[in-house]
Amino acid sequence: MRPILSALLRNKTGAVLVVIQIAITLAIVVNALFIVNQRLALIGRPTGMDEANIFSLYSFGFTSNFRAGPTIQQDLRTLRGLPGVIDATPINLVPMSSSGSDLTLTAQRGENVPGVDAGIYDVDEHGLNALGLKLIAGRNFTHQEVDYVDPEKDYTPPVVIVTQGLAKALFPNGGALGKTLYWGGKKPSRIVGIVKRFYGNDYSGHIGWSILLPDVTTAKQIAYVVRAQPGQRDRLMPKVEKMLGQSNRDRTIMQMSAMSKTIAGHYREDRAMAVILIVVIALLIAVTALGIFGLAVFNVNRRRKQIGIRRALGARRVDIIGYFMTESWLMTTIGVVIGSALAVGLNYWLVMHYAVPRLAWYYVPAGIGLLWVLGAVAVLMPALRAASIPPAVATRTV
Amino acid sequence: MLDMTHINKVYRTDLVETRALRDFSLHVEEGEFVAVTGPSGSGKTTFLNVTGLLETFEQGEYRLDGKDVSRLNDNERSRIRNEKIGFIFQSFNLIPDLDVFDNVDVPLRYRGLRAAERTRRIEQALEVVGLASRTKHLPSQLSGGQQQRVAIARALAGEPRLLLADEPTGNVDSLMAREILQLISGINEYGTTIIMVTHDPEMARYAHRNVHIMDGQVTELEPADVHLAARQQPIGAPDGRSL
Amino acid sequence: MFFYNLRLALLSLRRNPALSALMIGAIAVGIGASMTMFTVYYLMSADPIPQKSAHLYRVQLDNWDPDKPYAPPDKAPEQMTYRDAVSLMKQGPAPLSNAMFRSFTVAQPSDKNKSPFPVRVRVTYRNFFPMFDTPFEYGGAWGKSDDAEAHQVVVLSNETNERLFGGENSVGKSVKLYHRYFKVVGVLKPWRPTPRYYDLTATAFAKPDDVYVPLSLTAPLQIQPGGIMSCWKSNGSDFQSLLNSECVWLQFWVQLDTPTQVAAYKSFLDDYVREQKKLGRFQRPLNNHLRNVMQWLDYEHVVASDNSILLGLAFMFLAVCLVNMMGLLLAKFLGRAAQSGVRRALGASRAMIFYQHLVEVAVIGFCGGLAGLALTWLGLRLVSGLYRNYEGLTQLDPTLAGIAIGIALVAALVAGIYPAWRICRTSVAMHLKTQ
Repeated sequence: MRPILSALLRNKTGAVLVVIQIAITLAIVVNALFIVNQRLALIGRPTGMDEANIFSLYSFGFTSNFRAGPTIQQDLRTLRGLPGVIDATPINLVPMSSSGSDLTLTAQRGENVPGVDAGIYDVDEHGLNALGLKLIAGRNFTHQEVDYVDPEKDYTPPVVIVTQGLAKALFPNGGALGKTLYWGGKKPSRIVGIVKRFYGNDYSGHIGWSILLPDVTTAKQIAYVVRAQPGQRDRLMPKVEKMLGQSNRDRTIMQMSAMSKTIAGHYREDRAMAVILIVVIALLIAVTALGIFGLAVFNVNRRRKQIGIRRALGARRVDIIGYFMTESWLMTTIGVVIGSALAVGLNYWLVMHYAVPRLAWYYVPAGIGLLWVLGAVAVLMPALRAASIPPAVATRTV
Repeated sequence: MLDMTHINKVYRTDLVETRALRDFSLHVEEGEFVAVTGPSGSGKTTFLNVTGLLETFEQGEYRLDGKDVSRLNDNERSRIRNEKIGFIFQSFNLIPDLDVFDNVDVPLRYRGLRAAERTRRIEQALEVVGLASRTKHLPSQLSGGQQQRVAIARALAGEPRLLLADEPTGNVDSLMAREILQLISGINEYGTTIIMVTHDPEMARYAHRNVHIMDGQVTELEPADVHLAARQQPIGAPDGRSL
Repeated sequence: MFFYNLRLALLSLRRNPALSALMIGAIAVGIGASMTMFTVYYLMSADPIPQKSAHLYRVQLDNWDPDKPYAPPDKAPEQMTYRDAVSLMKQGPAPLSNAMFRSFTVAQPSDKNKSPFPVRVRVTYRNFFPMFDTPFEYGGAWGKSDDAEAHQVVVLSNETNERLFGGENSVGKSVKLYHRYFKVVGVLKPWRPTPRYYDLTATAFAKPDDVYVPLSLTAPLQIQPGGIMSCWKSNGSDFQSLLNSECVWLQFWVQLDTPTQVAAYKSFLDDYVREQKKLGRFQRPLNNHLRNVMQWLDYEHVVASDNSILLGLAFMFLAVCLVNMMGLLLAKFLGRAAQSGVRRALGASRAMIFYQHLVEVAVIGFCGGLAGLALTWLGLRLVSGLYRNYEGLTQLDPTLAGIAIGIALVAALVAGIYPAWRICRTSVAMHLKTQ
């Protein structure tokens, strides 16, 4: 160890540069990995829907002949009758899309009562089945409860279904089922069912705070969510688009999209961030590894004679390999010690300025482990080459 | 040509202080061919480095070609090296990436000569050392003797007043060594002052005068007549001789 | 001397091709990463209308819930109610002002062979066009009387004109929107302000809308707003109630050319709100704002924090690449110290040795910059594919290419100065003896 340290100290600058490089690399890798994992966790959250098998589309009436109510009923008959379709529902807006509608709900009647904002979804009695939502308490809407509502008229549903998240937000003490909630503190609706999870939109409040209403608005624009039998979705999508498009010339079918694609679109920026950071991490690791490798090759070449002398004096191959490995390990270790402080500092700065959460502690040791391995791997080949230098080099003059 | 008086040169490290030159004085006339001998560690190389303005010294005075060069700055010393001094090293010190032509070109580049003038000098110098046909070869493609001849051509091309040779035959076989010494002697005949460091008394005999260095000082100046006799020996057959 | 040094540099790079490739690669990757992020950041934070961004002001009034601010701590809504926007258009003392919102409908080409297609509609006053310097291919903005009398006229985007009329001069022809005939009065040239500062809702980098129609048609045609609408007070469901409601969904801009005009407009806004307070509206404290284009982009955080983080990390990455390169250069230069010793002995001054090595470093920097530019191009393709509406943010122009090469050169020189200095300071005599 001592001779290695003193050799390092003699080529101070070279060693310092490697140490700096490893330190900054650790700081970036640790923070980038942390952000990547955060985003991946976000993207991976289940939405509560049967993501793999449902798709959605909009029907938009654009002529003066267009009649919304009959069109919707006709469309639903068509969709539900298609072989391969499990169920279909009309819905005001497609969940997880870039459109959303939110309203404020309260647990008590009255002005100025604090409330929570929830995503509003108007469906009929097929809504739960078509979306693939899991009812954990209470019941579904009945056919009789579903109203076809003129968009120009005020409407308050007598009964609603809420997500478990919204139920807890409204009634923290539990027992939401059967209770009454109020729209903006005024008009009441009774909770008849609770679904485990249904992600709608996150414009205000929480993405998991959604409420289902048993109504169909007879507006020019209506969306449908269709649930296909496993494996049938991609076959059905173009078929549905064509069938509905041809069945009524007073409207157009738009934004046909698989739910998995809609969800991917929702998380597009998070996924982009994750992908870019992964690319950066990979390149950074490659650059650092090649840098350490290049320097090691150089050092081996420069010390050929010295190595030959050591070999002549009885050093085994494994001693030479050990020498270079230890040297690299020493630099890596000093680098990661400094780098740990840098990593925490960088995270602190990100927390202060960019609402990035605080770094989980285990990312630092994980990063250190990664760089140790990296340092060892990068220096292995040059060390093996050093070990193959013949002792006879010692007696050569040039 | 060269006048050194009371020069002291000390190397210091954390642990040791080595006095490489001690109150060192030497005078060399213009056109002389001086051989410097001495055992390892006597200060030969330091003497050569100081003479060639590669190193500075603490005390004393050094006049080169009538000019005091004791306290010049790095730039001025570089210029004098470039214009007045030629070097020949034991290990040739050719630049491995450059071919023969470009190696000879190096000092001329730093002098800022025009291309035509550089070409003329390079070709002439290579003619003198007999390598005019090898301009495109890399040093690694030449034998040791050829490499040393390229190094001599490089020194010649600068048309130096003073040629410093450090064990010029140390790395070549004896046959080649004689050829190289003949070449150096020939250069001397055209008026270039030559100082050659060697530990080989045989080679030293080509010089007009022998200077022996011991412990950083000149210890004896051998009588000039011996060397003059040596010079009169037919070139190419110094083998059979012994002191 | 430069060309001599250049030749030496190329020789030296060729001598260790792997090492040279490693150094050029390191700087190229660093430049590629940092320039990709820089380009996106630079274009995101660019001034979309430099000739008048200082004179265009977004207007904010605070008509929100007396008990709760629009957004904490005390932010006024970004958008405006229909009634206030129309009133300000009538009464405001600005040389040019404009209220507008986004809608959505289906365009039915008069050619029966072409199928109807959805279009994004900007419902606006005619002032939109002079105010935001929209370039016209054919025709121009509609007239004052069209605004006043709610005529069914339309200005088409270049793309929409291409789709409806095959790109020909369509002024005077008509297209069916909201199931009524609209007469084309103008066609825009291709136009894409980035960011789309005048309406940042949804995404800041989206394309401009497809068609433009007079806002005075809103009530007669019951044009439904299609952008973001925020409400705090419940209101009736019919269309007239919406127009009279406290819901905000219009963007309001004014052009004010002098500080006097700005001051006058500000006091006009305050007076307007005080007047409205008497009618029982605007019960929050006075909270009116005028923000010019760049202030507005900043207020709306157009540059997402992700982009700032990426930019920062990318430049740290570049730093790693430079430290890497510095280490390799140092090793390389010191590895041939003997050569420099010979050159010094043959009369090269320190400055010349320094210069020689700096030229070599600059060559590496230049090659790295060129390769980095190619990587930047690739990186921008990747970024453009990952995000939506980023086409306008991933264009490499000559300025950015120049910046990339410049950064690469400067970075390489910074990394190379120390190794070059080290090598020109080493003792001359040391390396001349037998190696």
